[in-house]
Parts: sequence; structure tokens; C-alpha cells
Amino acid sequence: MNLGESIFILMLIITMAGALTTVLSGSIIYALIGLVATMFGIAGLYVYLNAPFLAMMQILIYVGAITILIAFAIMLAGPFYKRPKEWTGIGKFVAALVVSAISFAMFSSVIMKVSWNEGKGAFSLLTKDIGRALFDRYAFPFELISFVIVVSIIGAIMLAIFSKGEK
Amino acid sequence: MTGAFLSGNLNVYLFVGLFLLCCGILGVIYRRTLIAMLISIELIMNGAGLNFVAFNRFVSPEGPDGMIFTLFIMGLAAAEAAIALAIIILIFRKYRSIESTEMEEMKD
Repeated sequence: MNLGESIFILMLIITMAGALTTVLSGSIIYALIGLVATMFGIAGLYVYLNAPFLAMMQILIYVGAITILIAFAIMLAGPFYKRPKEWTGIGKFVAALVVSAISFAMFSSVIMKVSWNEGKGAFSLLTKDIGRALFDRYAFPFELISFVIVVSIIGAIMLAIFSKGEK
Repeated sequence: MTGAFLSGNLNVYLFVGLFLLCCGILGVIYRRTLIAMLISIELIMNGAGLNFVAFNRFVSPEGPDGMIFTLFIMGLAAAEAAIALAIIILIFRKYRSIESTEMEEMKD
């Protein structure tokens, strides 16, 4: 086994362990740290998929922006040492496990059954091609996404300004 | 890369995406607070993005369509997180709690 495969397996382990930590940990801040680990693992997988620009964007947007936002929300929503544990009852856990196991079985049977017709040509896409397509074929969705983000930011600010709390 | 028998396989990436989806579903049902549910939804979105990039790499390597869809998913996730966290902070101000079982005023 060469070095690339070893690092790939390490990335897989980081991703899966982070996802399990996110879902199963008792404290919400540990769940956030698990989310960060998952994001880094997925960025590593993007590097293996020949998409280094996406890996960089993943780290910038998810780890840099969304996670910090969630951390601020956690800190604003009360002191977390007096918060109860995250786990709900055992019945809910069994129900959630059954739902995820059923979906896992269903989708994995689909994945194993279908032949995806893969490996037709060599993959040689650069970041330049992404930029070209963003301003050529996908110019309208690109502008629409920026519009959605502006509207959501303004909406968040309006919610923060014009709301009356308990006090 | 010649010895890429695990990282050159499409099914590995698909199973990782599926694992993230199942973890997200489990988290949305099982966790107590709203912020943890939001974190689980982020997991689901990441699984979808990983699937898009893997299909772009292995099935249709002619254009960067899957990568662009993943970028759109990231932008939408950012917008969704901003709005959802603003609403969660408002709920905390009003109810002094962010647990999902407390929000039952509209049930009656």
C-alpha cells in the first residue's frame, strides 16, 4: 500500500468518525467539533477527486464561515454547562436507527446494483474551466445564488433588529 | 496513480455520501436541540455535494457541472444557516430554550 492510499484511508476514517461524533456526542459543542472534522475529511476527499478548488472552498465556507456562525449561536443561546445532555429517549434512538438503517439498505442496494458506466475518458478539468462555466453557461444561476445570499443576510438582520424578546 | 484501487473507485465515495446521509437522518430525529438538528442537516448537504463531485469525476468528465452544483450547494447552505440561526436565536429569546420539544405552541 502506497502513501496516497494510506492518506485516503485516513481521510475516510476522519470523515466517518467526525460524522459519528456529530450525531452521537452528548454536548453540542462536541458535535460542532465533529462537524469540523467531517468538513476537513470531505475536503481531503475532494482533493482525491481532482477538485482542489472545491476543497479550498469547502474549508473556507464551511470551516471558516458556517461553523463559526454556529459556534456564535451556541454561545448566544445560553450557558451550556447548565444544559441537559443532548440525548433524547431510547425509543427515539431506536426509531432513528431503524429509519437510517432502512435508508442505508435501500440506497446501498441501488448503488451495488446499478453499473454507473464509469471511466469513459481522462479527467483533466482545471479551476479555469470552473470559472469559465460559471460565467458562461451558469451565469444566471450564479447571479441568482448571490441574490439569495443577499436576501438571506438582509432577512437575518431584519429578524435581529425588529424582534421583541422576552425582556 | 497506478495503485489507486480504493481512491479510484466510485462506490467508495458513494458509500461515504450515503453514510453521511444516514448520520444526518439519525441526528435530525435523535438530537434534542435545534442547533444540533441544523448541524445534522449540514451533514446531509455535504453528502450530496460529495456525490455530485464523485459523479462528475467518474461518470461525466467532460464538463465541470457537478463541481458547480456543489458550489451552489455551499452557497445555499450558507444562506440557510444564516436564516436558521437567526430564527433559533429569536426562539431562544422568546422561550429561553432551544429544545425542539418546547416549541409546541402551534400544535394546540
